[in-house]
Amino acid sequence: MRTILKLGKQEHRFIDRISELSGENVYSCYQCGRCSAGCPMAFEMDILPNQLIRLVQLGEEEALIASKTLFICASCFTCQSRCPKGINIANVAEAIRYLAEPKGKDHFGPDEVPAELADELP
Amino acid sequence: MNGNGKKKRIGVFVCHCGVNIAGVVDVERVAKALEGYSGVSFSTHYIYMCSEPGQNMILETIREEKLDSIIVAACSPTLHEKTFQSVIELAGLNPYQVEIANIREQDSWVHSDKEKATLKAIKIVKSMVEKVLQNESLEPIRVGVTRRALVIGAGISGIQSALDIADHGYEVLLVEKNPSIGGHMIQLSETFPTLDCSQCIMTPKMVEASRHPNIRILTYHEVESISGYVGNFKVKIRKKPRFVDPDKCTMCADCEDVCPQIVSDEFNMGLSFRKAIYLPFPQAVPGTYTLDIENCLGLLPIRCGKCKEVCEPDAINYDDQETVFEEEVGAVVVSTGYDLYDLNHLGEFGGEKYEDVINGLEFERILSASGPTGGEVRRPSDGKVPKNVVFIQCCGSRDPENHNPYCSKICCMYTSKHAMLYKHHVPDGNATVFYIDVRTGGKNFEEFYQRTIDEDQVLYVRGKVSKVYKEGDKIIVWGVDTLTGRKIEMEADLVVLAMSMVQTDGVNELLKKLRISSDANGWLSEAHPKLRPVESLNAGFYLAGCAHGPKDIPETVSQASAAVAKVGDLFAQEQLLHEPTVVPVDEDLCSGCGICVTICPYSARELDKEKGVVKVNEVLCEGCGACAAACPSGAAQQRNQTDDQIFSMVRAILRG
Amino acid sequence: MKLHYYPGCTLKEKTTNLDESTYAAMKMLGYELVEPENWTCCGAEFPLNEEKIVGLAAPARILRQVEMEGGDKVVTACAFCFNVLKQTHIALLNDPLKQKRINAYLKDDIRIDPVTKERTTDFPEYRGDVQVLHLLEFIQKEIGYEKVRSLIRRDLGNLRAAPYYGCRLLRPKGETGIDEPDDPSIFEEFLESIGIGVVDFPFKQECCGSYLSVSLPDAASEVSYRILRSAKLNGADMVVLSCPLCYYNLDRRQDRIREKFLEFTGMPVLFFTQILAWALGVEAEILGLDQHFFDPRPVLGITDKAEVAS
Repeated sequence: MRTILKLGKQEHRFIDRISELSGENVYSCYQCGRCSAGCPMAFEMDILPNQLIRLVQLGEEEALIASKTLFICASCFTCQSRCPKGINIANVAEAIRYLAEPKGKDHFGPDEVPAELADELP
Repeated sequence: MNGNGKKKRIGVFVCHCGVNIAGVVDVERVAKALEGYSGVSFSTHYIYMCSEPGQNMILETIREEKLDSIIVAACSPTLHEKTFQSVIELAGLNPYQVEIANIREQDSWVHSDKEKATLKAIKIVKSMVEKVLQNESLEPIRVGVTRRALVIGAGISGIQSALDIADHGYEVLLVEKNPSIGGHMIQLSETFPTLDCSQCIMTPKMVEASRHPNIRILTYHEVESISGYVGNFKVKIRKKPRFVDPDKCTMCADCEDVCPQIVSDEFNMGLSFRKAIYLPFPQAVPGTYTLDIENCLGLLPIRCGKCKEVCEPDAINYDDQETVFEEEVGAVVVSTGYDLYDLNHLGEFGGEKYEDVINGLEFERILSASGPTGGEVRRPSDGKVPKNVVFIQCCGSRDPENHNPYCSKICCMYTSKHAMLYKHHVPDGNATVFYIDVRTGGKNFEEFYQRTIDEDQVLYVRGKVSKVYKEGDKIIVWGVDTLTGRKIEMEADLVVLAMSMVQTDGVNELLKKLRISSDANGWLSEAHPKLRPVESLNAGFYLAGCAHGPKDIPETVSQASAAVAKVGDLFAQEQLLHEPTVVPVDEDLCSGCGICVTICPYSARELDKEKGVVKVNEVLCEGCGACAAACPSGAAQQRNQTDDQIFSMVRAILRG
Repeated sequence: MKLHYYPGCTLKEKTTNLDESTYAAMKMLGYELVEPENWTCCGAEFPLNEEKIVGLAAPARILRQVEMEGGDKVVTACAFCFNVLKQTHIALLNDPLKQKRINAYLKDDIRIDPVTKERTTDFPEYRGDVQVLHLLEFIQKEIGYEKVRSLIRRDLGNLRAAPYYGCRLLRPKGETGIDEPDDPSIFEEFLESIGIGVVDFPFKQECCGSYLSVSLPDAASEVSYRILRSAKLNGADMVVLSCPLCYYNLDRRQDRIREKFLEFTGMPVLFFTQILAWALGVEAEILGLDQHFFDPRPVLGITDKAEVAS
């Protein structure tokens, strides 16, 4: 696949929107990868947490919305607690989920929890 | 009117500084607005006042217009006050008849509204006119120079500084808190990028320093305080009791053999043991044993006394005392070195829980032929030869959120060296380096790093490690390969952490006493980051080595020699000139309340109890003005910065 | 002594053993727990999205209720509720605009008494004066380990417990956590004070898999198993925790873990309040020990099953 890197108005609008929703400065990530290295669920993800931030930096909204990672993140904040730039990546993932929702991307709701689990699940 | 009631003839010169000032301030209007202002006989503007044509214009105008003082409206006085002082001196005027009106840093650089910035510039220049009207002509205060230097810390930077000063023909006191000189460099195995044996290149320097007739080495000594001023410091030095006479000690080791107290060996980074009476390492300078009183059973012969009993040359003296003595020096080189960031800060790497998770200096000792493993790579926990060694870079560095924001600069290179040397020792082992960026900015550094991957097949994995823990006798490392997007878990037998370099413990306390400033990270601040990199802002203090920030050996040695060149500049002067803009005391007005004495940060003021007034040591006074602001009676008036001048300036600004 | 205590929904509906053991233990320590009147769900997740501010209304309402009842602090035993209430407290404290917006919701509250049908309106604003403490913090800061030590009635010195913090007690890093995210010690100190052996294990702050046990059960089992395995490798007889979701994943789902990892023989998982109450001498039947998937009674030396009627 050929990727044409373009940081136009649309991309900047997307990046700014993510910053606004998450309250995080995604520009400040220098891609050390520590978030991915410590992520307990990374082994299930199609894009790693550092790649998620990278795709935001590149303005790749579609690729982000299509990623499985959004719904694999358990919001455990391990990445946030070790990020050298103090980025709360869980908040960034939540911001992307928020933008994905109106586009028909959601995971599953409480009504889809299997009945045998629903009785016990906190 | 000046002090003599004579009307002044002031010239105003407004600088454009290219577009730096003229881009925001209407310089022509400023020059026009000053025409005819009280005392101003001439006013003009020019594109670069600091250029030769600009300076010549000032010079000629002074002569043609018979000016007796000038104002240059330009940049900060820290940049060009000296320049214009020398210009008017050439014209035969007193250098204290020039004032700089700062319309760049305090105006054009911080504002964008042209109209308001121009009006502000006019006010700034007018206020300076008010000041100049009352400026007196001053002569610098002249003092002598003690041509003798103090070097604090005897690692490679201190030793190089001491040797250079001594070779210039001046006396040096080289003070070191440890029992031997040598610093961290003597602990290193081999040095990048040449793989010279560190001891082999360091010990000749140490011996040279110990034999140099101009160097007095004071090991096991600490600097207590420094008073005085550039060229004339008084240093209080504390001698810690060594309990062994270095002149008598033959290093026979009899005392060590009988000493019952076994403690962790600092030189080997705690990887081996020493006795309470010990020789730090075989090549120690001075070559003498030291009795470490903190770990000794006690000096009373009934408690132990074994070492004294066996010492044939009778070198051990239990009555040795701590003493403090004073020395006079003219210059001080601060070369106190660095420490490594404490592993305890990294809980996610187990803190100091795991014996086989070590820092770079520990690995240096393991690699060293004279180290605790005799030059074989064996891990601390069980002495096994590790077959999988993981090196982790940037531990505590480049992490503004949790640790230190800066790059420690040398770790990329020493990790490359560690991995290479490990492979030389254990050819069938695996060396893996986790890195974020590999920074090899130095002569032959990149070539060295490439050799590590080309010839020694060290695997570099791009990603910062997040967790290191133990499972059974394996250490597990959680990393990531950001180049392939894979999360990585790997087993290791030994993990070497490239810990961040940090300022040494306790140095900041000393610095506060010396009034040397340091930056937000604790490193010593240079007088100017580009143009005065080896001097402190506090005159007479010079910086060398890692106390000033992380650097490698070649850079440290260069800085040490550069600092000594500056010491040489100082010592070459017949007399030193001290700024005359000090704060004397008007004895008629002084009530002897002593407020200024307590407030003076330079100890320049003293209460004369007999006369009931304060006396000032003008050489110590730095002209900060704290006393003038605090004085309730107006007796403390700073020269060319009197209350009258300040009020006139304020009035001028309020008038507009 | 009376103390405001927010149990949260799960403790009343599902993990009643956490709630009941909290009451029992606190009674032994001399506290009468008071639940804020008409408390609701805290929301379970603190909103991570700057625009979902309405998510702060429910937890803020709980804190306001404590304020209205004259309380200056509220303790929780559930790590999730603690996290939501604490983050809400901090968010409103540090952001006056947010506080104003939330108070705009809270001010218009209407409450209708189910029995008397009496309408209450005109509620006060939330002022932000309520301190949110997890029970571990309350024990550390206000009760003191010395006092706990002095009240211990059962000797647990032959047992070794692995304190499992999980996420919600420690993260997000910053004001929320009750300790350093990667070097915590409060749980260990607590366990030492009740006289039980403490196991240090490197997975104490790792995530249990959270709700992925519903959407990605295999992945969740794997991360849960690593935690239990690490505790076991380091010599633990039991894992002790504070979070109902962690309890669900680490204890209630041990069936699935066993299916996937045949070498796993099981591990007792207890709430910190259960082991505290047990050490303080509370009767076993009050502690809901029969609700666990992996029966913790044998390890505690409770052999007479009849005594603990299920």
